[in-house]
Amino acid sequence: MAQHTVTVRGLVRQFGDRRVLDDLDLVVRQGEFVALLGRSGSGKSTLLRVLAGLDREADGETTVNGTVSVAFQQPRLLPWRRVWRNVSLGLHGVDARSVADKALAEVQLTDHAQAWPLTLSGGEAQRVSLARALVREPDLLLLDEPFGALDALTRLAMHRLVDDLWQRHRPSVLLVTHDIDEALALADRVLVLDEGRIVAEHTPPVGRPRRHADLTELRTRVLADLGVTLDEAA
Amino acid sequence: MLSGAWRWLSPVGLLLLWQIASGTGILSEDKLASPTKVLAAGIDLATSGQLGDAFVVSLRRVLLGVAVGAVIALALGLTAGLSRWGAVLVDPPVQMLRTLPFLGLIPLFIIWFGIGEEPKIALVALGFAFPLYLNVYAGIRDTDPQLLEATAVLGFTRWERLLHVVLPAALPQALVGLRQGLGVAWLSLIVGEQINADAGLGYLINNARDFLRTDQVVVGLVVYAGLGLATDALVRALERKALRWRNTP
Repeated sequence: MAQHTVTVRGLVRQFGDRRVLDDLDLVVRQGEFVALLGRSGSGKSTLLRVLAGLDREADGETTVNGTVSVAFQQPRLLPWRRVWRNVSLGLHGVDARSVADKALAEVQLTDHAQAWPLTLSGGEAQRVSLARALVREPDLLLLDEPFGALDALTRLAMHRLVDDLWQRHRPSVLLVTHDIDEALALADRVLVLDEGRIVAEHTPPVGRPRRHADLTELRTRVLADLGVTLDEAA
Repeated sequence: MLSGAWRWLSPVGLLLLWQIASGTGILSEDKLASPTKVLAAGIDLATSGQLGDAFVVSLRRVLLGVAVGAVIALALGLTAGLSRWGAVLVDPPVQMLRTLPFLGLIPLFIIWFGIGEEPKIALVALGFAFPLYLNVYAGIRDTDPQLLEATAVLGFTRWERLLHVVLPAALPQALVGLRQGLGVAWLSLIVGEQINADAGLGYLINNARDFLRTDQVVVGLVVYAGLGLATDALVRALERKALRWRNTP
């Protein structure tokens, strides 16, 4: 059996009286792409922060095997460092420039290596952020609603890019999102988080790239898990 | 739209009025010399070498004062900004001292340093240090926590975070402090040079006053103003270079 990249058991995170994560269990297998769906306030970002090591106040057992990298909702680039430096800074013992150039080529931003981050569009900045996360060759890639601030067309292009990069590098991925279509298009497994627990699990059809038409029925079921019936939605 | 050249209309007009008032005797030379006389006095002082000598002496005082003030302000600002204990220990006394009218310290400075170069340099250093300290400290404190968090996850060492996140983040604010500090530094110099100066622009002005040479007094003032403008332009140029990442189209 393949080793698990993430093993979480009985995870509890409390802010005051509020249990944001309530006895949560989660396993992410090596090379698996897992999407975590939930409304705002369901605890999905808190879970990601715990896995990233940014929140050390949680109780329970959390094991992450290997290195972790994160792409956040905002690209969080250093505006005073050129794009290629943003990709390679913090890497040690490598030829920074060539490693950065290779990563930027993968996200089709070779021409922007020398640019200042503030000159990039939202989609370009997010691609730099992805390149920066991937160049560290993480065993676990955490994506915190990284396409939430992008327009619909750019978001679709980003989905293809992430799918592509994941197939090439095969890290385990945990994608936190509230976009059902995004989750269904990309993930091997879609988990629905509500009130700090995983309340449902779905497995989209295996083939990639997935066609929207094949997902209609599953989409309805996931929506129901999130407490939205189509009558209501209409 | 009126072109920018028209903005010169009223200043030049005022200059002409001044000249006319002097020429017709409405403005006596004892009170204020005419623009042409000021110009002549300026050329005179410049060719005799007096103005150049005074200029060098005053510039030296400001440069030394600014250098001393910068070392103090950066040391304190970095200490307070980068460590919690530093902030607790350094910031309260500095904030208290800041409320002192520092020009009022001149009597103490004369007692401590005498009447030579030292009290003048110390006054400049003190005037320069406060704005720089406050802005360096505030700049470091305002570093975007999201960037610190992101770089921590990406495996930056403490030193890398300081070098690539904290210090660059504080730089715009620190440059604001530099500009404010330089403004205060010139002011401190002008006040400091009133104490028993035997050289420098302040001495030149005081000397001229004793002989009712209002033309020479105005020359001194114009040079002070020019120096202030020049340092301001210098810092702006520095800003454009250091902060070019945010001025790009």
